[in-house]
Amino acid sequence: MDEILNKIARCIQSGKIDKVSPYPPDMKGEDGADELTKFALENGIKPDQVLDLALIPAMETVGDRFSRKEIYVPQMLMSAKAMNSAMKHLKPFFQSGETKRKGKFIIGTVAGDLHDIGKNLVSMMIEGGGWEVIDLGVDVSTEKFMKAIGENPQAAVGLSALLTTTMENMKKTVAVIKDSYADTRILIGGAPVTWEYCEKIGADFYSPDPQGAVNYLKQLVA
Amino acid sequence: MKGKNFSFNISELDLSVPRIGQMLNFGEGECEGVFSEMIFSALEEAEKLPPARAEYTIFEAVKFSDAEKTIEINDIIFEVNRIVSSQLRGSDSIAVFLCTAGPGISEKSRQAMEAGDLLTGYIYDAVGNEIVDAAFNLLYKDLQKHTEVSGKKLTNRYNPGYCDWKVDEQEKLFRLMPDNYCGIRLNSSALMDPEKSVSGFIGIGRNVRFNSFTCGLCDRTDCIYRNIKDKE
Repeated sequence: MDEILNKIARCIQSGKIDKVSPYPPDMKGEDGADELTKFALENGIKPDQVLDLALIPAMETVGDRFSRKEIYVPQMLMSAKAMNSAMKHLKPFFQSGETKRKGKFIIGTVAGDLHDIGKNLVSMMIEGGGWEVIDLGVDVSTEKFMKAIGENPQAAVGLSALLTTTMENMKKTVAVIKDSYADTRILIGGAPVTWEYCEKIGADFYSPDPQGAVNYLKQLVA
Repeated sequence: MKGKNFSFNISELDLSVPRIGQMLNFGEGECEGVFSEMIFSALEEAEKLPPARAEYTIFEAVKFSDAEKTIEINDIIFEVNRIVSSQLRGSDSIAVFLCTAGPGISEKSRQAMEAGDLLTGYIYDAVGNEIVDAAFNLLYKDLQKHTEVSGKKLTNRYNPGYCDWKVDEQEKLFRLMPDNYCGIRLNSSALMDPEKSVSGFIGIGRNVRFNSFTCGLCDRTDCIYRNIKDKE
């Protein structure tokens, strides 16, 4: 079992999606995360073992390497593609309840801001951390966040902003959420955001990179 | 008040796979294989899109306030703050410019991301940034030619949103321009639509200079342009 799980993890770390995928060149022609995950499930490995022992640690390694600037966004996104090709085989087990996610995470770029790349990177890493991600998109009003929290009261929430002007909308959204849902954990991120700003507006956590957010959520459910 | 507008086909712009690789953070010679193929394919798609557009208008009556760190053009006071004010000081006139890659490239990026292909979306996004920059460079060269005749020089470009010049000042900048100038509009957050657009000032005068290292003026350490310069 360990061997196949290690192979899946290696595929995800290297961004090897499937057999026909030419990347990375040194794994050309080999099975990718897609085929190996299918094989693992067909051969009695449980879906939560695939998730907990291959996908999550592999994406954690990818996130750590990104934080240390050993890889860049394109390589991280290639790993995400590989992870998604494995995850599609796990989806039916999530839907049936046989495999449980770590929790729910609602994410969106705040009102007035149309930037989505940073948000998408964080979404992808958090999904790779075993969480169900509810992505509200860009230019998300406070009301839309509140509606999503109302429907998923246990969820943690992530707010993204790229501009100093739209960052101000974070403050308003955090205040309204905390007013009605004081226990909801709110993570914030984006180029102009700092720890100081996080504390000032009453959010719970700030991370300059996606893996920091994954690690924070992990300790919430530990 | 003089001005000029341009329309650049993507093939006229100086876009290259290695340069876009740099924008994606790859070092020199590191962007190869599947990544360079994806960039090449995105550039081919970009060539099918409508041309990039760029325009400038030169305003002669410009007043500087050293105390307030402001610049006044046509009775509109721009609170550009210390850095931009000091860099533009000495300008006899200011060229206000706008450039846009148009909506097509952002749309391609959005569609790819919505389909779950974040990497392709990210590459289109970088191509869009490069289109705008390359269009601006051609506009700048043209303006340089125009001003050199009268023995004048140009400053760097300065954009709202950088060097402590607040992005919402873009709303004032657009008041100087005819409506729908260059096909760009501002949304309620003072952001430009199409997204891949740039606006700003270029100072013109005998006593101004081009600063070849503007990263020293800016406190953003996460900027890709700074990263590229550091690697060079």
